[in-house]
Amino acid sequence: MSDHDQEVLPPTPGARVGKFLGRSDVRQTFILGLLYTIVFVVLGRWIYPHWMPRVLSKQMQANEDIMIWFTVISAPIAGVVLAIATKSFMNMHRGDTPPEEGIAIRTNTPVVIVWTATSVLFCIVAIVWGLVALNTESIAAATDAPKSIVVDVTGSQWAWSFYYPAQNIHTHTLNLPVNQPVTFNVTSDDVNHSFWPVQLGVKIDANRLVTTVAHADPTATGPLDVKCAELCGLYHAYMETDGAIQTPADFSSWVSSIQATGGVQE
Amino acid sequence: MTTLSHAPASSRPVPNPQKSLITKLNMGTGMVLGIIFCWGTYYGMKAGRDMTDSHNVNKVLLMSMFAWSVGFLIGIGAFIGPFRWLIGKDLTDEEQLYLAGDGQGISRYFKYCTDHKVVGIQYLVGVMALLGVGGTMAMMIRTNLATPGSHFVTPVVYNSLVGLHGITMIIAMIIVATGPFGNYIMPIMIGAADMAFPRLNALSWWVLFTAVPVLCSAWFLGGIPTGWTAYAPLSDQAGPGMNAFVATIIIFAFSTAIAGMNITTTVVAMRAKGMKWNRVPIFVIGATISVALAIPAFPTFMVAMIQTAMDRTIATSFYDANLGGSGWLYANLFWIMGHPEVYVILIPGVAALMEIAPVFVRKPLFSYNAAIAGFAGIAGLSILVWAHHMYMAGWMPSLNGPFMVTTEFISVPTGLLFLVLIGTMWRGRPWMKLPMLSVYAFIWDFLIGGITGIYLSDVPADNYLHGSMYVTAHFHYTLMGAALTGAIGGLAYWFPKMTGRMLNERGGYISFWFVQIGFNVLFLGMFIAGATGQPRRVADYAHLFAHANLISTMGAYSVGLGMIILLWAIIHSWRSGKIAPMNPWGAKTLEWTVPYPVPLVNFDTPPVVTSDPYGYGRSAK
Repeated sequence: MSDHDQEVLPPTPGARVGKFLGRSDVRQTFILGLLYTIVFVVLGRWIYPHWMPRVLSKQMQANEDIMIWFTVISAPIAGVVLAIATKSFMNMHRGDTPPEEGIAIRTNTPVVIVWTATSVLFCIVAIVWGLVALNTESIAAATDAPKSIVVDVTGSQWAWSFYYPAQNIHTHTLNLPVNQPVTFNVTSDDVNHSFWPVQLGVKIDANRLVTTVAHADPTATGPLDVKCAELCGLYHAYMETDGAIQTPADFSSWVSSIQATGGVQE
Repeated sequence: MTTLSHAPASSRPVPNPQKSLITKLNMGTGMVLGIIFCWGTYYGMKAGRDMTDSHNVNKVLLMSMFAWSVGFLIGIGAFIGPFRWLIGKDLTDEEQLYLAGDGQGISRYFKYCTDHKVVGIQYLVGVMALLGVGGTMAMMIRTNLATPGSHFVTPVVYNSLVGLHGITMIIAMIIVATGPFGNYIMPIMIGAADMAFPRLNALSWWVLFTAVPVLCSAWFLGGIPTGWTAYAPLSDQAGPGMNAFVATIIIFAFSTAIAGMNITTTVVAMRAKGMKWNRVPIFVIGATISVALAIPAFPTFMVAMIQTAMDRTIATSFYDANLGGSGWLYANLFWIMGHPEVYVILIPGVAALMEIAPVFVRKPLFSYNAAIAGFAGIAGLSILVWAHHMYMAGWMPSLNGPFMVTTEFISVPTGLLFLVLIGTMWRGRPWMKLPMLSVYAFIWDFLIGGITGIYLSDVPADNYLHGSMYVTAHFHYTLMGAALTGAIGGLAYWFPKMTGRMLNERGGYISFWFVQIGFNVLFLGMFIAGATGQPRRVADYAHLFAHANLISTMGAYSVGLGMIILLWAIIHSWRSGKIAPMNPWGAKTLEWTVPYPVPLVNFDTPPVVTSDPYGYGRSAK
């Protein structure tokens, strides 16, 4: 084989990748992508937990984990998109006449395939994560049922009321013992409401003449905010109450204090 | 892409069918007859009815609103053609030319004009008015939420503001791109002389027009307490203002069905010679997929509203649990429309930006096929995802998993849209004009909207986030940050062709940065408030959320200021802006081959298309 023949041989895939990575615009784009990725990882790992309320249940922990890790996983994809856009922006042409023609790249099949495969992979991770979390929650709700404390929750325009059948008490605040599963049987006296004990990370609609069920596993003590998350008319904003996740002893004394006043919280 | 000869415009005589009723009818006669029909129906039906019964009140009001709409359309001459057909005749050629507004100047914008360019301008002005009204309501909402305990408006007014802002903006956003550009630009882009059904084209606009006073009447009838979702049974319980909402949706559904059918038929049947499907401009593809998606989706909302109307007027019980009905029926019907509708709004905006990017980067659109696959994939999947809005409704929890799967998969075709745009940008040197800036803003905004959508589609995360301000921030990033940004980019791009003048650049740039910075501040604050636990649609909130809400309100004012500057730039440029050359951007689609004002039949010689419109660029070294 002559020297001339060697010169016209097409470059190997490795050589093409090496040449591609050696280009200054590619290096700059890579660095930009890395910076964006770091920003998104930091946002997911440290900012979200700072914004979100204190975790008082397994369900809230599952929510927070998804917020954190989905942000972290999506960070490199966001990084690539923003890096290319930023690099392009930095190359801008200003003036009243158009720039010179760019390179005519109609498509690039390997890039389209890799991009689509990456999207599908990311999607599958998100789906599997969600389905596993959903399944874990379903199993926990079923297996925990016998040892759960039951609370019947009723929404009405514009207040929440609670009935604890085993304790036979009616309350307008939601107190629960820590480390004991809870089952909420939720209904409405009128229009749709949405029962949202915020720090427990669960939510379920309250519908007229229907009972919907939610399940939670309180894991830490602390104050609890209960809100309505479905627009329910004039004073929707004020349809809220509070409560607490308490130690079993504190919860028992709270129950006793209500039973002492005839089973109805004053 | 095209071989086109510019023959001199033929000098047609100005039509003057003096004895025709058509020449006597206009918006004024429409309003007069509409008001007569409305008041006649109101007083006619009221007589002898017990108006202390809310069902009777609802009946009378609803029928009066529909009567207004029918009366207006008769009064403006919408049914003269069909009436002639009924008696075995048709409009004369001279009358048809008159209907097309030939030689009538500005008065044609106030008539039942069949010229697609007139309809496009009518939609543009209508959209701007709706956005202005909806935006003003947004400013009032944010002012009330600036501090906790604010009494800027009462809870009644606040709830109405939330609902009317929502529905006004949804209507505006559904038509924001397909209305002005789909009507004015798209037929020229495909080389057609007009839309397939010019009279239906005018009808779609004027039907929509009749919905606007109906919607406004909600304010005078006590407002709506339900938000734009109008969930039952709250809507059954609501006062007379709810009738205005119900009537608006039913009227609007007719308008979109007519427009959707017209646009789809036009693109399928009236493309220029040589314009094979793989040569169709991507905006046309996007707009067509969007309206084709709307055709099956919107009737379900109309059905939901008809059933609401029946519950409210003749005491049926579709949604009344006390009598065997279910609010879940409403929720399903609503969201079967509701989620495709998000993409009906989004796709034309993205498609407009895909039309813009190659022109300003001077490179071919990267992977045209991927763009089509993205649009088609989104449209196809979007009809299978509606119940992700109902994970927490209690309706069929066993379906939460399947709906999570379909919803998550939408991120794959959505990812293709990003690939097409960044692929087009790659190694390019973009001409940084206002339309191109919108492409960059879209990428940032839609990236955030897209990623936060992935959390929300995941059931466990949605357990916490559903119904919170986080959701509000997310969908504003997709609808406003992405779709409206796309439409504003489209306006900046096609403004020279639609008005004959260049959009004021300085005003456009100032507006752009006020809007985009303000937008991100506004919804960053809302993300924080939602993640912290603030429900959406609340007139008041705890002190815990005060800082986040104040940040949001400051951002909102910046957006408002930016929009006012944009409005000024549009009006100023339209009246006295720099005269635009025929093709100021050097684009290759057909609309840039015709002069301004665009001739009545667009092309003196039908164009012949020989390639796709993205033939930019040089060979790689």
